Amino acid sequence: MKSIFAFVGKVSLTACLGFSAMGSALAADQTIGALFPLSGPNAVYGDVFMAGSDLAVEHVNADNLLNGKLSIAYEDSQGLPQPAVIGMTKLVNVTNVPYTLSAFTGVSKAISTIGQRNSVVAVNGGGVGPDLAQLGEYFWNVIPLVNLEVRAAVPYLVKERDIKRIVLVYIDDPFGNSILEELESELEKAGGELIDTLSVPTTAQQFSGVAAKVRAAKADAVYVASYGAQQIQIVKQLRDNGVDSLLVTYSGYAVPDAIALPESEGMIFTGQSVDFTSEDPVTQRFVKDFTAKHNREPNAYNVNYYNATRLFALLAQALEAEGKDVTGENLLKKRLETPSFDLVGGTVSFQENGTLLFPIKINTLKAGKTETLKTVTFN
Amino acid sequence: MLALQLAITGLQTGAIYALTAVGFSLIFGSTRIFHFSHGATFIIAAYLFYFVDVSGYGVIPAILAAASGAIVFGLLMYRFIYVPIQRDEGSFFTVFVASFGIGIVVQNVIGMVFGRGYVAVQTSLSKSVELAEGLYVAPLAWIAVLCATVFFAALWYFLRFSTTGMALRALSDNPELVRVFGLNPKFISACAFAIGSLLVVPAAIISGATQGLNPAMGHHVMLISLAATIVGGIGSVPGTLIAGLVLGLAESLALLYVESQWTEAVTFAILFLFILLRPSGLLGRSATH
Repeated sequence: MKSIFAFVGKVSLTACLGFSAMGSALAADQTIGALFPLSGPNAVYGDVFMAGSDLAVEHVNADNLLNGKLSIAYEDSQGLPQPAVIGMTKLVNVTNVPYTLSAFTGVSKAISTIGQRNSVVAVNGGGVGPDLAQLGEYFWNVIPLVNLEVRAAVPYLVKERDIKRIVLVYIDDPFGNSILEELESELEKAGGELIDTLSVPTTAQQFSGVAAKVRAAKADAVYVASYGAQQIQIVKQLRDNGVDSLLVTYSGYAVPDAIALPESEGMIFTGQSVDFTSEDPVTQRFVKDFTAKHNREPNAYNVNYYNATRLFALLAQALEAEGKDVTGENLLKKRLETPSFDLVGGTVSFQENGTLLFPIKINTLKAGKTETLKTVTFN
Repeated sequence: MLALQLAITGLQTGAIYALTAVGFSLIFGSTRIFHFSHGATFIIAAYLFYFVDVSGYGVIPAILAAASGAIVFGLLMYRFIYVPIQRDEGSFFTVFVASFGIGIVVQNVIGMVFGRGYVAVQTSLSKSVELAEGLYVAPLAWIAVLCATVFFAALWYFLRFSTTGMALRALSDNPELVRVFGLNPKFISACAFAIGSLLVVPAAIISGATQGLNPAMGHHVMLISLAATIVGGIGSVPGTLIAGLVLGLAESLALLYVESQWTEAVTFAILFLFILLRPSGLLGRSATH
């Protein structure tokens, strides 16, 4: 009988120690959230974003940057505010993440208040609405916002290409309206003219009528400001319906489906400039591993979500080294006291409004390839 | 010229709306089943056409594959979803939720198989030709109108003169009477699903060629079908046909008078007007209690 009690005692003790050890291992693991469009018409972006963030997780875990393993809990935002708020609520209250990746202007604005209220950092690498710079201290942007893109594109079009009469086709949401305001202001400054504006509902898929109005306006160029499948549909239908003016757009067009579209030939689009030839080891490793894994060159979105994930790892590593908890509050404090970060593209610093500043490239598409026409730097 | 351009564009859009909506209306009118996954039939047909065509089999096999896929999906939905629900006397709401759920499943399966991104269907038929100064029409516009004419003529002939067609009309009036006459309501319902699903095929192919494809496009298709069915008169195939054309024309011509973001709202404004002023729709019968 004695030996049975001794055996049961040993088993219990071993189990307790085992669970305790497992508990401490689990406590050291870090999970961050991500609200990406994984279904619906904006799903085209989900895979692009994940390609960057997943590679960062691989690198962080391979380098043992953190005491435990890093993982990402993905929630499907569909690129829409309502599902994003549900996803963010789950990430904050159930998964208990201190840090979340976000994308899309409408989504980011919708979830930012939840992040602010619960001291959870949200980092945007895909939305470019200018007001994303004013969503509070817990909302950071690792992407230059679209006001900079418009400020780079308009003087180039008006002064260097003599393109003065522009029609804007824009999505009827906060992002589209911000482009409208920016274009109106920048064209006036540069000596151009916004001769017509045509907004389209977020759900619209048929644009032949819009194309008829664009043709009737006889513009030098058409600025297309939408995203996801709709943006590609607009470009295809404008060309199919006889619009032969120059088409101009922003960084949201830098997705493989859009670039591969034959109707995209000759388009001009802006985007953040990342120097992939930089000699720094972070950039070199990212470019090499990304190209090997995906058999193509990375784009700005891949970079941004790699950087956003790596940024968390760098901040969490510093907090762990100081013996502090990895909470949203501590992550924010650590970011504010760190002057610069080694990310893909070089050593970068945040502006006071929590946004990274990158130069803007003006690109054109030729035979499915991106060709840079000019790089504009802002101070 | 802009008005003429928008009218022709509206006619093309209306023909596509009518083809999609008449299929839904035929199914709902005959069987009283709210086949919300009619939008999923649209996606299946569009993607099958695209897949077979880009695989190099050619347009005719692609059309046959799209038609077969649409019909098989419609029949499977009827046999394995709606019949069991009806056997257990499931409510209208049960049918709707089941159908809606299947629509989401199809959307995700299509996304997994064909990718979740945008698919452009490249064809010279979608490229507009300048017929007069400022008037551009793509060959697909004429094809859409021709398809709608041929399909509706065939449907009218079928419903009017064939035994099954007459039984379909009778089923919508009085299912018990159909049974008394020795006809099998389940077989007739299955026919409604097959024909209704087939009608969506030309609309799916033409929409794919003009707008491109993405797995989420079915919901929009379903919204338009529903609006056209109500405006046309629930259960009235000719009413739905006219409503589809009217909604397409209204959506396009609205650009002459309102800002472009309101064109889709015009469709639903018409729908609300009918609900308020003529709930029975254009050619529907007034409800009697």
